[in-house]
Amino acid sequence: MAVTYLEAIREAQTKLLREDERVFIYGQDIAGKFGGAFKATKGLAEKFPGRVLNTPISEDAMVGTAIGAALEGMRPIVEMQFADFSMIAVNQILNNAGTHYYRTNVPVPITIRLPSGGTKGSGPFHSQSMEGLYSHYPGVVVMTPATVEDAYTMLIDAVGIDDPVVYCEHKYLYYHLKADALPKESFPVGKARIVRPGRDLTIVTYSAMVHEVIGVANELCKDGFEIEIVDLRTVKPLDTATVLASVARTGRLLAVGEAFPWGGVTAEVISRVTAEGFHLLDAAPARINAKDTPIPYHPNLWSEHRPNRKTIAAKARKVLAE
Amino acid sequence: MPQVPITMPQLGESMAEATIVSIKVKPGEKVSADQEIIEVETDKAVMGVTTPCAGEIAKIDAEVKGTYAVGTVLGYVEASEADAARFQKRAPEQPQGDVDAEIPGRQEETAKAIDNGSGSHFQVDDVDLPQVATTAEAGRGGLPVPASAKGAGYLSPRVRARMAELQLTNADLAGIAGTGTAGRVTIKDLEDFLNSIQSQPAEKPSAIRTGVADAMRRSWTRPLATVGVAVCLDPVLQDRQSRDPKPGPALYALRALALALAEQPNAAARLIGGRAIGLQSIDIGLAVEAGEGIMVPVIRNADKTSLADLTTKYAELVDLARRRRLTSEMTSGGIASVSNFGTFGLDWGTPIPLPDQTMILGLGVGKKTPSWDESKKEFVPKTEAQVTLSFDHRSLDGGGAGRLLKRVIELLEDPKKL
Repeated sequence: MAVTYLEAIREAQTKLLREDERVFIYGQDIAGKFGGAFKATKGLAEKFPGRVLNTPISEDAMVGTAIGAALEGMRPIVEMQFADFSMIAVNQILNNAGTHYYRTNVPVPITIRLPSGGTKGSGPFHSQSMEGLYSHYPGVVVMTPATVEDAYTMLIDAVGIDDPVVYCEHKYLYYHLKADALPKESFPVGKARIVRPGRDLTIVTYSAMVHEVIGVANELCKDGFEIEIVDLRTVKPLDTATVLASVARTGRLLAVGEAFPWGGVTAEVISRVTAEGFHLLDAAPARINAKDTPIPYHPNLWSEHRPNRKTIAAKARKVLAE
Repeated sequence: MPQVPITMPQLGESMAEATIVSIKVKPGEKVSADQEIIEVETDKAVMGVTTPCAGEIAKIDAEVKGTYAVGTVLGYVEASEADAARFQKRAPEQPQGDVDAEIPGRQEETAKAIDNGSGSHFQVDDVDLPQVATTAEAGRGGLPVPASAKGAGYLSPRVRARMAELQLTNADLAGIAGTGTAGRVTIKDLEDFLNSIQSQPAEKPSAIRTGVADAMRRSWTRPLATVGVAVCLDPVLQDRQSRDPKPGPALYALRALALALAEQPNAAARLIGGRAIGLQSIDIGLAVEAGEGIMVPVIRNADKTSLADLTTKYAELVDLARRRRLTSEMTSGGIASVSNFGTFGLDWGTPIPLPDQTMILGLGVGKKTPSWDESKKEFVPKTEAQVTLSFDHRSLDGGGAGRLLKRVIELLEDPKKL
């Protein structure tokens, strides 16, 4: 029985609702027959009456209510219809939830699910990657699962964490990615994973870009290059130690992310490696991101706007040739 | 009067173009600001296009039933200077010291980007754009801008860190042909090289060998030059018979150099930064082969020490050197040295001064050579040796070195003065 990335998210929520009575899900059109814009909660409202709740179209109110519930001992999961819409709740997520434990010593264990990243034809308001923005602020954990297994275990972990967690699930992977079965064990939260060992170049990436980079590594392998791929899994906290250990093996670094280029996760990776591992670098580190423009609707423009196998491979070859 | 364009406005989020339904004004007509002058129709509604400012319609380019994209110029309004200026000012001012102008290739890109619209947009801030051109072109300052910091001489942070760890110097990398950009040595090249020498027989060099290697490497960072001339050794050889203890020819040379330097002390001044460091005393070293390397004990105040005392002192120092009992004090602080490579049967050489000294005098082997005697009109036998002076060309020129060497020769050919 194959399980998709989306099904893994639904299964994780099923498990959470079944095993922890403090858990409830809050979101737009998630209950009833509709089951959410991407069907991540389909059937859950029937199975868990009163615990999968429709909200008004107000992201601000959704997160604010969830914060209140969390303060009263609940473990709410908030589903944003699209990651882009969470901008309306930024004040609640970052100013209120993110600083609450610091201000009051009372934790806010909320999990906010952001359907993130681009799919063809979704345009500027339904394609954005928000992990860089949320990582910028203290007090929140930002997860970016790239595999079916991580989608499942990290969502369960996210609900278990006492801090607010922004869980960025990639829409492109919802149906594209399949695994044979759900995992029994989870890889530790906050730990990056070496997806593929190599000795010539470290490519640090996360979320859907992991799969583009695997394609690039397969292509470069034919030319004799062994690419080591690091999947960050959790972009905040960032597992600098695993990244540095990888760069120590290869001497070269390329960071790949789907978010906009200014600042963000790839910049942070390069900054840390340059500051803490300058002596490990045999070539100038490089990064590749989406273009610094709003995300285009047209499928052809969209696929050139985000990093793709062609542009990542070209960048990787440049770093390898130095 | 200046003209302000009337453009197809963005009348809705999804609007890309609109069709003209009617045009309510004719050229020459007076209009007020925000007056509705053209009716357009999109797939959603009929809406009005208004004037950007007050004035007189100069021209209408659009036609009824024509479809025009957002931003298309539909006509022009003759406007006051003030209004025209207001519309021109919408483009942001260029920051002072335009970076693009200093990076070859960027101006064209910027021009392209701005050409595309009303001129009021910043260029996309994209890390994927080439930051500098790939070939060196003259920048605004007239200096070529390097396309890359990478080249044969470039050592990456990783290579430098590894060299520091293993105490390698640039000289140690001479045997590696780099495979990186422009032949730079990559970390892989270095590690491959280190692996390749791993299998070869190796032993730890003696401390003295390591010391000489380090001294020579440091010295070789300077511009060194060598001059040479022949000297007749017969006067020295004769004089030597009359002395007890008998000094060797190298000691005569040392004493001659000491006296010459006492007369021309600037010749041995060291240039460090912007300063010429003068001499405190004429302390001269003498290279002695000891074990696997060379030691250079220093004779203090050689200009004020008689040849007889020098001979005694020298014998003591050589003995200590050969028994490896020289202290670092005995080998430091010299201003120049003498190397008697003639003892190895060599005619000529270019010895390298010690790194903290500016010169070294080399003495070749004495050989009987026929020499033309003008008074006798015949060749006469003469013992001749080559004397060379290697020096730091920053401190001394060929002329200065020549005068110093000539004075040394004069003294050697008149050894009573020594």
